[in-house]
Amino acid sequence: MAFVNLKNVTYKYPLTDKPALQNINLQIKEGEFVAIVGPNGAGKSTLCYTLAGFAPHFFKGELSGTVEVAGKISNQSTLDEWVLNVGLAFQNPFNQISGAKYTVFEEIAFGLENIGIPRDEMKKRVEDAMTLTGITDLADRSPYSLSGGQQQRVALTSILVMRPKLLVLDEPTSQMDPIGTREVFGTIRKMAEEGMTVVLVEHKVEWIAEFADRVIAMHNGQVLLEGNPSEVLTSNVLIKNGFGLSRYTSAAREAKKLGIWKKEKLPVTLDEAVEGFKK
Amino acid sequence: MRERLSFYIKRDSVLHRLNPLTKLTLTMALILIAFLSPWYWTPHFILLAAVLPLSFAGRVFPEFIKTALRLILPAATFLFLMQAIFQPVGETVIFKFYFLDVTRESLMFAFRNATRIFVMVSSFTLFLLTTHPSELMSDLSRRGLPGQFAYVIISTLQILPQIQAKAQTIIAAQRSRGLDTESTFFKRAGAIVPLVGPLVFGSFIEVEERAIAIEARGFTSKNLKTSLQEIADPSFERTVRWVLILLIIISALLNLWPS
Repeated sequence: MAFVNLKNVTYKYPLTDKPALQNINLQIKEGEFVAIVGPNGAGKSTLCYTLAGFAPHFFKGELSGTVEVAGKISNQSTLDEWVLNVGLAFQNPFNQISGAKYTVFEEIAFGLENIGIPRDEMKKRVEDAMTLTGITDLADRSPYSLSGGQQQRVALTSILVMRPKLLVLDEPTSQMDPIGTREVFGTIRKMAEEGMTVVLVEHKVEWIAEFADRVIAMHNGQVLLEGNPSEVLTSNVLIKNGFGLSRYTSAAREAKKLGIWKKEKLPVTLDEAVEGFKK
Repeated sequence: MRERLSFYIKRDSVLHRLNPLTKLTLTMALILIAFLSPWYWTPHFILLAAVLPLSFAGRVFPEFIKTALRLILPAATFLFLMQAIFQPVGETVIFKFYFLDVTRESLMFAFRNATRIFVMVSSFTLFLLTTHPSELMSDLSRRGLPGQFAYVIISTLQILPQIQAKAQTIIAAQRSRGLDTESTFFKRAGAIVPLVGPLVFGSFIEVEERAIAIEARGFTSKNLKTSLQEIADPSFERTVRWVLILLIIISALLNLWPS
């Protein structure tokens, strides 16, 4: 049985007519790393909020169908129970800083304090999580004195430290440089290999091709395509619907028109492109 | 820009090491006794024999005297003058100022009240200088203060300077698009609208996102909260607190005693 199971999920925000999610059916295995792509307004963030329980528990609105994570049904539980299983980090790191803490170490411990983890275990978990995301040197800094990329790492660490079974990330690396992005994707990949299920919204498609197990392409609140990253991310369906392609895919498409690209399959990552152009 | 609104100065001293609640009780005791004690020289005595030595014990004397004077001198001076001049008590006129009599009694009365205010503000200053706000709040929430209340206090202290900084950014952004913020009064008044709009609506969105973020980190969890900081509370401090409370009660009783 699937770890995450969405059946006919339709969700409407309050005071709106058009559903933000329409009839979504989705199954995710435990330990799977799933990426979501789609143009603005496709419902990616709403899907994240739905998985994390905030739709409907926080935003209200109408949810129909069933959202099931780790054997529990969203409509039948409360948000404070739900967040113990599902962690959410989103794009704007500044607003994810609690404001209640004066150092990064305390900031990361905030969630553990809330759910009542004993002090010794708390310290150990915070240290482990900071080592994992590579921010041990920031421990005594004020969270407000950090750069956007560093704050994003703190936000991610603050969720990882809670050890959710399902980790939902909405563009967690938008303010990071490529080196930082690679490190963070590496960390997320590692978490998935250790059994954490990951759902990630990301615009940088070449990273998805390299790290994710599966891609879901969303459009107008519906799932347009899903499958293997290298197939989905080069599909003609995406191009027709105004999705952004990786620059390697775009280059190879142009090259194909000129007859330089000989292979049938288009590349998504740099390595695939180099490989293809060599032949 | 200051990163947070707080008087706290990080130092290692006897006063810094005291449990926050003991310091709060001590502060309240100094203030209440200064106000309640029927003996005329109590506030002066407290100021010289308790608050000042404590500021040395807390190793914050220079900052303490600077902050306290800046906060209180204007108000205390004003209060002293008003009460010295307008308090209609006593017969021993020291000098006349048109129709106003300044008597020995009114001077004494004003002097005591000004000193009381001084004790109040200076003990609070000392308390804030030597107590980290988050330490105070985690200690109080451990003793049953609702978590939401503690959160509101602490996050306001931290987020206000951030909002200030954002207001500056918005002003700079609007000015770079030609908004007039420096000429006549009416033009400047009109310029407030495009500044306040983004600030207020932006803050609403921020509040929603921050609510999601802390909720995702179990803020409303029904589990009993724990605390990262270990705040010492030795048993002698508990005794000290009871003694202080007893002193407050005695002062109150003496004050009520029909003399």
